[in-house]
Amino acid sequence: MSGDSPAASEDKPEDPGLAEIFFPHGKELRTMGLTAFVLVLFPWLFTEAPVVSGFLQGYHPLASLILIWGIFAFGFDILLGYTGLLSFGHAAFWGGAAYAAGIFSDMYLGQPLVMVGFGILVGVLLSWVIGFISLRRGGIYFAILTLAFGQMMFYLSAAPLGDITGGENGFTGVSVEPLLGMFDLGAELPFVGEFIGTWLYGFVAITTLVALALAYRILQSPYGIVFKAIRENEERAEFVGLNVWRYKLMSFIISGGFAGLAGGLYAIHQQYVPLSSLNWTVSGDIVIMTVLGGAGSLFGPLFGAALYKYIQNIISGMGELVIPFTDIVLIHDFGVYWHLLLGVVFVVIVWAAPDGIWGMIQSVRDKVNDVLGRTKDGDS
Amino acid sequence: MSLVTQILTILLNGLQNGAIYVLVAMGLSIILGTLKFVNFAHGALYLIGAYVGLLVAHETQLTGGKLSEWGYSTVGLDAGFFAALIVVPLVVIVIGFAMERTVAQAFYDRPDTDQILVTFGLAIVVQELFHIMFGSQSIQFGQPDWAGGHITLPMIGNYPQWRLYVIAITAVLVVLVFLLIEFSDFGLVVKAGTLDAEMVELLGIRLSRPYLLVFGIGAALAGIAGVVGGPLQVVNPDIGMAILVPAFLVVVIGGVGSIAGAVLGGVLFGIIESALISIAPAWSQIGIYVLAVIILLARPQGLLGSEEVAP
Repeated sequence: MSGDSPAASEDKPEDPGLAEIFFPHGKELRTMGLTAFVLVLFPWLFTEAPVVSGFLQGYHPLASLILIWGIFAFGFDILLGYTGLLSFGHAAFWGGAAYAAGIFSDMYLGQPLVMVGFGILVGVLLSWVIGFISLRRGGIYFAILTLAFGQMMFYLSAAPLGDITGGENGFTGVSVEPLLGMFDLGAELPFVGEFIGTWLYGFVAITTLVALALAYRILQSPYGIVFKAIRENEERAEFVGLNVWRYKLMSFIISGGFAGLAGGLYAIHQQYVPLSSLNWTVSGDIVIMTVLGGAGSLFGPLFGAALYKYIQNIISGMGELVIPFTDIVLIHDFGVYWHLLLGVVFVVIVWAAPDGIWGMIQSVRDKVNDVLGRTKDGDS
Repeated sequence: MSLVTQILTILLNGLQNGAIYVLVAMGLSIILGTLKFVNFAHGALYLIGAYVGLLVAHETQLTGGKLSEWGYSTVGLDAGFFAALIVVPLVVIVIGFAMERTVAQAFYDRPDTDQILVTFGLAIVVQELFHIMFGSQSIQFGQPDWAGGHITLPMIGNYPQWRLYVIAITAVLVVLVFLLIEFSDFGLVVKAGTLDAEMVELLGIRLSRPYLLVFGIGAALAGIAGVVGGPLQVVNPDIGMAILVPAFLVVVIGGVGSIAGAVLGGVLFGIIESALISIAPAWSQIGIYVLAVIILLARPQGLLGSEEVAP
């Protein structure tokens, strides 16, 4: 934390008010403002805008799905990119929360806010237990233990808990009520509906913004900086007197909470919870998204999630790869190769560019700034 | 069926289930133990073994995938099972060599996390290649003619003959690998390198070739597991990832780098699985994970692992 934030430099002798503390300032305000702007513009660019959308071929539900996976991804990055722990079991929190939110909506209340809240709760509790046990071991053991727990959850909901979870068929009883009892999530937003889309997108986008702001705060705080210290050198952090284990567990729980939030949103979005949401492929996917976009940054994983979901949903349906604005066909039946393409790009990124695509963009920006003689304004 | 018969059947089934885990886990374990390389693509080697074995041993009718689109809807040499058992290890050992020289060498000095990530990516690439080429269909891997049918065992009654062969082949391979590691110069160098690589190199012994061979042997074992295990279930592009998770658990509960540990862990998993299948089928998949968690918490270095190896 730098001491030059406006809140500190203002000449007020008394304690800053709550609003003063909670409302973003300075760089944070700029970042969040820009993010909000992008979130508002995104569905339009993705689905409606001339030329761009024709090229992207996006559709509205995908826009909100991308944001939901984005929350999952940057939450996961707090663990992987910032604390340096590779978990292969985050499907447990995502899928567990999705099931929890779905079953809650069926049995008690389908209010989206409550469902999401319950999802977070389940994500946090599950990650507390699983983290508490898995974090006793480091490195590959941690990865494999989390994987084992994730698979345990998968098989639990597949057979022994089949009466509650619907087993192989997934949970079909999700019933989502209108937001705050007033706004049907499927309905278009008033005035800006043409432009932004449904209440669902609005709800997801605002949740994304709040979650992002929260993650930003956590990572910029002294607490979050300890995460980075552990990633850089765990032993040294221990010697300084930090209780490394507790910080690791907290990092795990925080990422589990974000996964729970995203999982709850996912249940609302799909109005259905597939069994595959607990499969370890989900854990693998979130690892790929995060690393692809750029582990160790907040926006990288968001970008990685967008790219992954885009390739999975749009590119996979493509007939043939054509050079834009011409009729020259490069590859027939291009969509079939989507997963292979992702795998190859992933390997190349891990091998040669561990900072991911976001890292590449940043280094290009830094180079441009160098050439123009400007200085970097902090680390974003 | 009397209780004794039931127990014996469970044990025998468990041994056979476990045999495949043992073969895959043994390679994984010696690679992890000596080379300190985490190979999430080990399941992909099993997958390659299964498909190559299928192609060599039988003639297969493909119903999906690019190969059939290109006109090769009937593939395979139909050269019999013995041919597969010889060709597959050779093919996979070469793939293993190539992997060691490219991927593994580039990542020896990088953190575990990077090794996991890059091999995980490779596993996806291999799996997708098979998806695209052969389609997602499950293919029946026929049992060899000479081992088809049932055999009558005392106490148990009729038992599929092939399953006994699986156990026998696994046992032979385990003994061979054990002898190689424990009683050959090669094994001595490898074991010394595991303890103190720098010292061994200072003594004038090049470790890179033994390491290459270790990787190759590990890969070949996974390939053989693919051929031997193929006829027990079906072959499809997802079997590689499916075997990887339990195999890794076998390695860590047995103790990294320990061949005996891999055998013990694999057999334990196999027996738990077959016992649960006959007692509580719904829980059959969960047992091994519960067991793995309990063992890892009680004995972090694994059942037969040594204290120092565990981080």
